Amino acid sequence: MSRAGRGLRLRLATLAGSLAQWASRAAGRGSGTSIRGRLIMKVDPGALGKLLTGRRTVLVSGTNGKTTTTHFLGAALSQWSQRQAPPPGVVTNADGANLHHGLASALSAAPKAQFAALETDERVVPDAIRLGHPEVVVMLNFSRDQLDRNHEIKRLARDWRDALVEAVEAGPVVVANVNEPLIVWAAQSARKVVWVDTESVWTADAVLCPECGTVLSRTEPGEAGDGGEGGEGGDWSCSDCGLAQPEASWLVRGTAIVGPEGDRWEADLGVPGRFNIANAACALAGAVEMGLAAEPALVAMRSVRAPAGRFAVTEIAGVSARLILAKNPAGWAESLPLAASEPIVLAVSSEAADGRDISWLWDVDYEQLAGRPVIAAGPRAWDLSVRLAHAEVDHRCIPDLAAALAAAGPASPDQPVDVVCTYTCFQSLRRIGGLS
Amino acid sequence: MSAPVHVVVVYQSLLGIYGDQGNAAVLRRRLQWRGVDCTVTFAEPGVPLPDDAQIYLLGGGEDGAQVAAVRELLADGGLHRAVDRGAAVLAVCAGYQIMGRSFTVGHDDRTVDGLGLLDVTTTRAQTRAVGEILTQWEGHDGDEAWLTGFENHGGRTVLGPTAAPLARVVHGVGNCGDGTEGAVAGSVIGTYPHGPVLVRNPALADHVLRLGTGLDLEPLDVPGLAELRAERLAAVRAS
Repeated sequence: MSRAGRGLRLRLATLAGSLAQWASRAAGRGSGTSIRGRLIMKVDPGALGKLLTGRRTVLVSGTNGKTTTTHFLGAALSQWSQRQAPPPGVVTNADGANLHHGLASALSAAPKAQFAALETDERVVPDAIRLGHPEVVVMLNFSRDQLDRNHEIKRLARDWRDALVEAVEAGPVVVANVNEPLIVWAAQSARKVVWVDTESVWTADAVLCPECGTVLSRTEPGEAGDGGEGGEGGDWSCSDCGLAQPEASWLVRGTAIVGPEGDRWEADLGVPGRFNIANAACALAGAVEMGLAAEPALVAMRSVRAPAGRFAVTEIAGVSARLILAKNPAGWAESLPLAASEPIVLAVSSEAADGRDISWLWDVDYEQLAGRPVIAAGPRAWDLSVRLAHAEVDHRCIPDLAAALAAAGPASPDQPVDVVCTYTCFQSLRRIGGLS
Repeated sequence: MSAPVHVVVVYQSLLGIYGDQGNAAVLRRRLQWRGVDCTVTFAEPGVPLPDDAQIYLLGGGEDGAQVAAVRELLADGGLHRAVDRGAAVLAVCAGYQIMGRSFTVGHDDRTVDGLGLLDVTTTRAQTRAVGEILTQWEGHDGDEAWLTGFENHGGRTVLGPTAAPLARVVHGVGNCGDGTEGAVAGSVIGTYPHGPVLVRNPALADHVLRLGTGLDLEPLDVPGLAELRAERLAAVRAS
């Protein structure tokens, strides 16, 4: 097909998508962004590549932290763009719709934006690299999640690695987390890698060397002993093939981010948790690779408060609630310590988007909640209740989400009830709370 | 007072990605709540496996982890010694497969020798078995005979003459689509379901405890468990 023909097809696809979105909205079926994307991809299967072509794109992927990291990058790029004359414009999929059609939907709505910051599902990364020639890809972490669908996380890493090998010199700069052996193994093949030491301490999903299958050796956290700059995460290496944690140019040290020139900034973010400092460090490294100055980029990132509803405070059943998302054992390990209210509500589900198998509850350290009042909620509340009983955590089991919140009250917006929940429960609570 | 019952979780780091360490938590609590002391050891590769325990637990993991676990366990020898003197073993999913004669791994379906502690052989299935599974425990009846769990495996496991099936499949796939699930030989039990399986099936948990310790165990009421079992049985029957 001619170049003009290709452009026409995309225009038709976008028109069809826009009409479908309008109809969906008019019928009161939500924002319509999903149907818009699906229709665009149906009318023009090549739409994603065309929509990405000609833009300066940064992709963000990994099991945990994609949405927040993308919001950080979106904020940094948008504030920078607004200071340019004329502003080049930034498009992002802030809602977290991160499959092919989600990306197409977001991009098609902003055809003129020269920059794109896109959260990308782990399975879509190879296609996005092949079709979209991104300038930067931020690789955060790999941990077990939805094992009923992703049986082997190594396979995802292999696909990323292959896509980078295939792209060779036209490939992206990769920003990668050195604390994750699978990420390092996948990123290694890129033409340029910017390594970030995020001090992450979750090691349970990276026991074997991704290269040769040998059990990895690890130094204990804090053992590194190079005058206090050694990360808390501990270093890893393979005694057999020699794969080892690379030296990082960006560092997370406590609540600070240290840049390649030794500049040190307090993160001072608008979202809580150590893992978000790690996400911000990766976003900042990505922003600098896109050509932004670090300091104003970090200032912009501090304005991110409730990315796609995470940490948002809303009213549910007359009770103020702060919503904290935790999708898998690594996520719960980071999120559970943030919950401070009395009581805490924990809500779990096992829909397709959560993973159908809820056995992972037994890999989460609920024992840390002993002595604190807890309410177990959500469609799989009884699984959680039995888990809590074995952790000897006193609790009430109230499966219905609104009833659980009502029982947890009263609470005011300045002292909300903390609700730590899986994805489907999180989305249900956002709807009940009028956030989506 | 007698020595605590000793339960060993074999290589949690390799065979622990599906929550199967919950089986150890259940055994420990079901003893403690009856006034019996219990120690759980998480044994890892590179350190001698304790060979004096009454119960050994293995869980699910990826292909590469299975190969590493077999290599370590054969070199160590502790698990074989424990089985020889009659210790109980509950091996789930990938752990079940490595207890057998052989299993296959990787993109090229390479055959790997197993530990040879169960007379079963596992090859790659054409489609992966993923979903809730309900079986009927051989030789048991009433509510306790219903075994509920979640299976997620790409293996077809065929039983040899010296292994007996643990259960008959009512819903789900089990060993290889022949209606059998799991395998039993002496004090060794292999089974596919996670859940973890001993959480959802307290009678099976007490059976493993009796196998390993010979203790006479009184009935035990765990809050929420009846509701969980009723809900899981209803869910699988409605699907």
